[in-house]
Amino acid sequence: MKHVTDSLTDYLDGLLNQEESAAIASHLKECSTCKQALAQLKELFGAFEQEDVLAPSKRVREHFLEALKSEQTTKVATTLENNINVLPKKSGVRILLKIAAGIALLFGAFMLGRNQNERQANQSLATQEYKMLEMQQTAMISLMGNQSPSKRIQGVNLITKFKNPDEEIINALVNRLFLDKNMNVRLTAVEALSMFAKSETVKLAFIKALATEKDPSIQIAIIQNLVRIQAQNAAEPMKYLLEQEDTQPFVKEEINRVLGEII
Amino acid sequence: MKKITSILFTCLLTWTIQSQSDYSTSLAGIEWVKIESKSSVSIKTHDKKEIRIVLNDPKPIPEKAKGLRLYGDAGEDNTTVGFNVTTSGNNLIVKHVRKSGEAIIFLPKSQNISVTNSWGGTTEITGFSGEVEANSNLNGALVLSNLTGAVTAYSLNHGIQVNFTEINQNSPIDIRTTNGEINVTLPEKTSANIVLSSWNGDIYSNFDIKTKEKDGLKSFSDRDINGIINGGGVNIKLKSTNGTIYLRKE
Repeated sequence: MKHVTDSLTDYLDGLLNQEESAAIASHLKECSTCKQALAQLKELFGAFEQEDVLAPSKRVREHFLEALKSEQTTKVATTLENNINVLPKKSGVRILLKIAAGIALLFGAFMLGRNQNERQANQSLATQEYKMLEMQQTAMISLMGNQSPSKRIQGVNLITKFKNPDEEIINALVNRLFLDKNMNVRLTAVEALSMFAKSETVKLAFIKALATEKDPSIQIAIIQNLVRIQAQNAAEPMKYLLEQEDTQPFVKEEINRVLGEII
Repeated sequence: MKKITSILFTCLLTWTIQSQSDYSTSLAGIEWVKIESKSSVSIKTHDKKEIRIVLNDPKPIPEKAKGLRLYGDAGEDNTTVGFNVTTSGNNLIVKHVRKSGEAIIFLPKSQNISVTNSWGGTTEITGFSGEVEANSNLNGALVLSNLTGAVTAYSLNHGIQVNFTEINQNSPIDIRTTNGEINVTLPEKTSANIVLSSWNGDIYSNFDIKTKEKDGLKSFSDRDINGIINGGGVNIKLKSTNGTIYLRKE
């Protein structure tokens, strides 16, 4: 049986008939991919039940609309090009021309129809992807505000779903690093942010955190990231840490080791 | 008559001592119990919807302190057992006012608990199915046993020992130390996605950890051991900067 990811939402909402539902249930027993997809959906739905719905940020919405527009323009251009190409350029025989014209018309109509379908499919795919992204962003931000540290970690970990997270998500992660009371959540936020350490916001947040951070595990994780991205202005806060009496010896050792690499 | 008087006197004495070393209050409407301490605390289950604090080694209150109330940076003792107990929203905040002296705290099995030890001693948490958050910000050890709920635990200089009797698949488990060791026992059949990592320490396990990047498991760092046990499931992360990590089967 093929993957059933498309029907999982209906399955969870109980919209399928008994037979379809049973087929999906038996497929889920064998297929780890679909099982994982189901778990993710449940996680998302669970988050929604617990939290108030937040609207997607302006940037996500604008990006989506731009993407949709460019998708439509490309498809329309291709259709026209196809239609022009199939028309015969020269012909001496009228009947042949008529037949050819007929075929061209048919083919053109066919292509037009096909492209229309494709465009609709693409649109609906883009809509679906957007909806998924929107849901994940909402889930992520609301989970990160949960009272349970384990749920906040779950929220931070949703970062792996975003290739290009927008400022709102990055800022939410930076807030976890600076403001969360739980060390595990803070360390998970550092790990998540290190995936985007080249972003100026993240780099600045790391440098700022290094100047105030007291926990050696966070200090080490941030130092490693700043060295990895060759952040020139990281030398100052590192030297400051070297001078502090309460900086742990192994942190000082690491700073001494890497300082040469970034100056 | 003498006998009866002496029995009555003994009863009265026992009751007085009991009332001084035992405190309880209802947990109606309380979602999280947040405990702060500077010394050893043992947290156990009981089957009442209330918190009960029992002093484990009640040191005699100095003669000169009679009639006076205990004050500390955690507030005043409003329980007569050396604790300050207040409510904040759906949280019950329980602060140990004394700087030493051990206590046993009883809570319902399903209670969500957060414990922070900011000095030393051992924090023991046993038998809970709710979520457990345990922090040791300086020299305290964390010993968590017979747990079935989500756990987040962090210790700076001492080790963390956790023993799970069942793993809740809904919420991740995250256990970290800076200098101490991590020693975790899971039921043999636990399905989980595992991340193990120690910067300067070694990692040992008798689980068959399958490391497959292809399965959509993503590693945050090159140093992480990233894999699945028993087909994969909830995320379990054990990380240390300088400590050794042990992950074993029950």
